[in-house]
Amino acid sequence: MRKIAIYGKGGIGKSTTTQNTVAGLAEMGKQVMVVGCDPKADSTRLLLGGLAQKTVLDTLRDEGEDVELDEVLKPGFCKTRCVESGGPEPGVGCAGRGIITSINMLEQLGAYDADKQLDYTFYDVLGDVVCGGFAMPIRDGKAEEIYIVVSGEMMAMYAANNICKGIVKFAETGKVRLGGLICNSRKCDNERELIEALAARLGTQMIHFVPRDNVVQHAELNRKTVIEYAPTAKQADEYRTLAKKIDQNQMFVVPKPLNMEELESLLVKYGLAA
Amino acid sequence: MSQISLTPDPGLRTPDRRRPATTNTCRVCAPLGAVLAFRGLRGCVPLVHGSQGCATYIRRYLISHFREPMDVASTSFTESSTVFGGKSNLATAVANLRDQYAPEVVGLCTTCLAETIGEDTRGIIRDLAAADASLPRVIHVATPSFKGCQHKGFHDTVAAILAQVAQGGERLRQVNVLAGPVSPADLRHLREVLNALGLPAILFPDYSDTLDGPSLARYEPIPAGGVGLDEMARAGRSACTIQFGDTLEPGPGAVLEAAHGVPLVRLGLPIGVQASDAAFAALAEAAGVPLPESLAAERGRLVDAYVDGHKYVSQRRVAVVGDPDLAVALAGFAAEIGMVPVLVASGAATGRMAQALALRGVAGAEVLEDADHDGIGARIAALKPDLILGPSKSYPTARAQSIPLVRVGFPVHDRIGAGRILHLGYRGTQRLFDEVVNTLLANSQDTSETGYAYL
Repeated sequence: MRKIAIYGKGGIGKSTTTQNTVAGLAEMGKQVMVVGCDPKADSTRLLLGGLAQKTVLDTLRDEGEDVELDEVLKPGFCKTRCVESGGPEPGVGCAGRGIITSINMLEQLGAYDADKQLDYTFYDVLGDVVCGGFAMPIRDGKAEEIYIVVSGEMMAMYAANNICKGIVKFAETGKVRLGGLICNSRKCDNERELIEALAARLGTQMIHFVPRDNVVQHAELNRKTVIEYAPTAKQADEYRTLAKKIDQNQMFVVPKPLNMEELESLLVKYGLAA
Repeated sequence: MSQISLTPDPGLRTPDRRRPATTNTCRVCAPLGAVLAFRGLRGCVPLVHGSQGCATYIRRYLISHFREPMDVASTSFTESSTVFGGKSNLATAVANLRDQYAPEVVGLCTTCLAETIGEDTRGIIRDLAAADASLPRVIHVATPSFKGCQHKGFHDTVAAILAQVAQGGERLRQVNVLAGPVSPADLRHLREVLNALGLPAILFPDYSDTLDGPSLARYEPIPAGGVGLDEMARAGRSACTIQFGDTLEPGPGAVLEAAHGVPLVRLGLPIGVQASDAAFAALAEAAGVPLPESLAAERGRLVDAYVDGHKYVSQRRVAVVGDPDLAVALAGFAAEIGMVPVLVASGAATGRMAQALALRGVAGAEVLEDADHDGIGARIAALKPDLILGPSKSYPTARAQSIPLVRVGFPVHDRIGAGRILHLGYRGTQRLFDEVVNTLLANSQDTSETGYAYL
């Protein structure tokens, strides 16, 4: 089983990209589980056709530790298996600890066991690695491949670089490696070249450039992935391509994060000066 | 979050690379200090917000010192309270305390866990009080132990109680006396002096009864004693606040000065003739009467004893270990009687001990703050003092180095009567002086080849 975590700046399109990629893999016949690691619990909405999921932590709170896997693992599009960690309401408690609790619980419940015959587990993780809890998916060998969703915007690149620092830290003690950057286009100037250059500097690849397309919005409003909502759309093929590239990816590296000056000079060189 | 931090804040420590780990810690958790202070409030049940072990540890530790029942409630965090916040646990805990103890007040302090997840205890308490008028009043204090030990926890709690309870108003002929984490015997002695002066005083916190009470036929979940909320409410109307503690900067009394204009008189702990003179003079001035004859007589006997015993203590070298204020005061006393303090050590990190020692006229002593007993023991082994003044935790060092130990402060859990150890005033100093002299005499007697019966 390949264990993949998707990171990236808040609002960059991690959940959309993850679910569409998962839909592409599922269409190829892969057995995929998605674990949403965001207190908002919206990482599986497009696969499930809405927020139909009771989260692991809500179940734990309401029913104690006698939880059955079926209660928290719901089948979604094309036999994908969907789990939401959930978490506290904003401003209360510890969402980071929630991720840890939830993943430990899934392990205890046997969600990853061999008899589940999973080809992939995807962790869709909220924003930056802001504390130990949000690093949980890349600790202890839980996820071994990281893909960072990024765009040509400065703060998205800055977040990507920061996440790479987290990967470096955990790569020293574990197996986690960076599989590549996924550029989710914001139509910035020279975005493709910029992200390719960033990837090269980090020692990785831009695994795919996902162009901006309004059909993604339409699909989201219909609570579906593009692959389900508009299977013949060009954008659906983009996600299928991304799924295929990830499936065939062989490039796994310990990234080399940039310092702030290097990052800014990169932006000036490609983003502004071109 | 309510953060009243008027007392020593250790701030960020520079890691000591020669000392990779703490060995035999010389401090205990901040909530322990909070629980001790809450015990000085009448009808109060302390409630520790966090995992259960924190409350158990505090109970066991305090029981081992005071040898009194010690009920400390816990909000008993579980995994899900950690993730979702402890509000529902806190609500259940306060309701359970109301049903089982019927307390006048609940003293809530936080653990590291509650602080780390950012519990909004003030907001939760406000919501609970608004939702259910039958719940007891809750006074809260933030006591993360990664930001200070029992010393800071104690004084921050006193500050929190003053901030949340004291009211302003017309001045009254009374004073506040904030004595610090002293022994029940010390509190009783201060009360006796205040009574002799005819000075109405709020002596706070006062756990002289709650932590050193009589044997009862029936177990009382909340022991009698302590200062009532009604009395604490009047603390904002006192003529002044007299606060003991050499390293407090400015200390909890500053709350009343800032909020209600109650002048703060900051003094060292009254140990030794000079420090006791200063403390009693301040009290007599507040009372507007001369010191009673009985105190003058105690002073006279003490000075006479200093003369009688001088040849036994002069130039003898002493190491002092304890809470920062106590350690500084004891070192001052040792210097006053002609001993040479060579080491003054504390587990707390106030950054003010050296300065406070200078004010006490102690020069040349090595000062160790933020220390552990392993490090203190190593310095004692190197300095080879004739005597150690310290808590029971100094016993292994005393034993290993064959140096006599006079037990003072907290914890004393290898002897009985910790609560009855008197440190303060002429009388406390007298007791300390006699014990110091006699301990030195006993040691030379015991280690002499000849069995001298006359020294």
